[in-house]
Amino acid sequence: MASPLEQFVHSVRTLSSQGNFRDLCELLCKSTDILIKNGQHLDAVLECLQQHSLGMLSVLIIKLSLPPPSPASNTNQTQPADYQEIRFTQVQEFISSCVAEQIRYAPDVFAELCHMVTQQLVEAKSPMRGIELISIAIKKLQTSDSHLTLVHADLCQLCLLAKCFKPALKFLDIDITSISIQEGVQFDAKYFLLYYYYGGMIYAAVKNYERALYMFEVVISTPAMAVSHIMLEAYKKYILISLILHGKVLPIPKYVSQVVGRFIKPLSQAYHELANVYATNSTEELRQIVTKYAETFTRDDNMGLTKQVVASLYKKNIQRLTKTFLTLSLSDVASRVQLNGPAEAEKYVLHMIEDGEIFAAINQKDGMVIFHDDPEKYNSPAMLCRLEDEMTLCTELDRRIQKMEEEILVNPQYVKKSCGATEEDITSGQATKISYLM
Amino acid sequence: MVNENWDQIAEDLEKQELQAQGGVSSPQLYGQLLAIYLYQNDLCNAKFLWKRIPNNIKTQNPELGNIWAVGKAMWLRDAVEIHKTLNNTHWSDNVSSIIKALKDRIKERGIRLIGRAYSSINADVMGSLLGMSSIEAVALAKEKDWQIDGTSIKPKQISQISPPLTSTEHQLHKLTSFVSFLEN
Repeated sequence: MASPLEQFVHSVRTLSSQGNFRDLCELLCKSTDILIKNGQHLDAVLECLQQHSLGMLSVLIIKLSLPPPSPASNTNQTQPADYQEIRFTQVQEFISSCVAEQIRYAPDVFAELCHMVTQQLVEAKSPMRGIELISIAIKKLQTSDSHLTLVHADLCQLCLLAKCFKPALKFLDIDITSISIQEGVQFDAKYFLLYYYYGGMIYAAVKNYERALYMFEVVISTPAMAVSHIMLEAYKKYILISLILHGKVLPIPKYVSQVVGRFIKPLSQAYHELANVYATNSTEELRQIVTKYAETFTRDDNMGLTKQVVASLYKKNIQRLTKTFLTLSLSDVASRVQLNGPAEAEKYVLHMIEDGEIFAAINQKDGMVIFHDDPEKYNSPAMLCRLEDEMTLCTELDRRIQKMEEEILVNPQYVKKSCGATEEDITSGQATKISYLM
Repeated sequence: MVNENWDQIAEDLEKQELQAQGGVSSPQLYGQLLAIYLYQNDLCNAKFLWKRIPNNIKTQNPELGNIWAVGKAMWLRDAVEIHKTLNNTHWSDNVSSIIKALKDRIKERGIRLIGRAYSSINADVMGSLLGMSSIEAVALAKEKDWQIDGTSIKPKQISQISPPLTSTEHQLHKLTSFVSFLEN
């Protein structure tokens, strides 16, 4: 083994056993060159560094980034496929056995490793294998359940590709309250956006539209200076899901950055037209517009959602009938909603009753539908339970906001700025001072 | 009781699927999980499970296709098709117990839906919704004490089973924390 490499191993072990992880990180950053030069010895180095997770981490990163050894020049006789397999096992072992306290000193490097593994699995078309592994990785990096890491987006991507959503939902269902912030480590906005974008897609796939809408809203309301493709696509999906869920496009929050209005809206013309036509309640015209822009929707991979938008208009039209009529014959329902006849109308009404979207009773003898009011009297134990849950959520939110405010109040930068501002204001006048204090 | 059981089994199966070697599980596992998803009426997850089963496993195990045929009918809410597929297929021991539970579940849901959605229904239609003949449907209606008027039946609402109440102590605790929040 080359001597700089030996020295490297030695210093990693010393620093690591002393628990001096900060210095160790610095050392590791500097030693990339040595490791790349000694590519063929990396397995041996790994052996020597058991228990020293940080050291192993950076060695593994280098190892993954190196091209597989060509069979001719190497003593290693393994095939490229086997080689990939061995590397995967190595990473798997590392992620499941590494010490969480150590790797948290280099979350960006650890995330890099996860990105690499994810990339490999995606290319190898076996995303299923990575789900468990990346879940473990997230848990290692997280300091609390509601902590967003750089690795979350990888998990969502794997789950989407594997069409297996339950493992991702476990993470998605918990609202994020903190993101990894560490000195010197940038949280790449790309992974933040991707997490919410993929998350929205997953929720849309399992038809939890409310959450999906929320996820897409987070994406489009992220402060931005330039248009991101993720944001653009999220905006399109936001329109569609908003139509399915609420029958209209919900106004986007005021705090979205200007780029949305200036660049993203003009880029999603087809979707705006769709929303406009939807507002006229005419299913016929809606179908026409879908056919007109079919190419755009298919290209954006939004055809499925678009079809659901069309279906939702029928339902919405039936729902509107319940507001006007107490009883209506099935053939009237069919003609008013432009359905193909009483039988189809009955089918729609039946399905909507099943889903609790309307309250009605079908009388087959007379061919009539009787619309009822919402039977919910808000006096059941279940409703009380729901009320309590919502209240707990609200109190929790309030507590969190208070805590954040306190944190800001004692933040030296904030204190300096607000004090400085007040001093200036003394010269400029009382009135502005008050507005600052507000 | 039985209900909880299936949920537990489903969770175990999901775990096994994730840990499977090479990311591909046994056809037995896929079959059971698919059937349980249908039993839970979790059609979205059933659909995606079907989509992620590798093609060669599907062709080698026609039973998976049969289970999904039920799922597809459920997705399209084609009651006639659901019952036809459920009754006319021979199910292997691997899934037969789940399918049996699924049948009961679907029938129960069907009855509840009829009670909720119809103030009067034709015996034929009721029979086809529940996968039985009109004579059986009339018999069932009698059993449920629903009024029968010639061929049309007047179903009654079936009251929902209310969830178990939480303990008073728990309730009190919640109330205390709520009041203490308001006070502070």
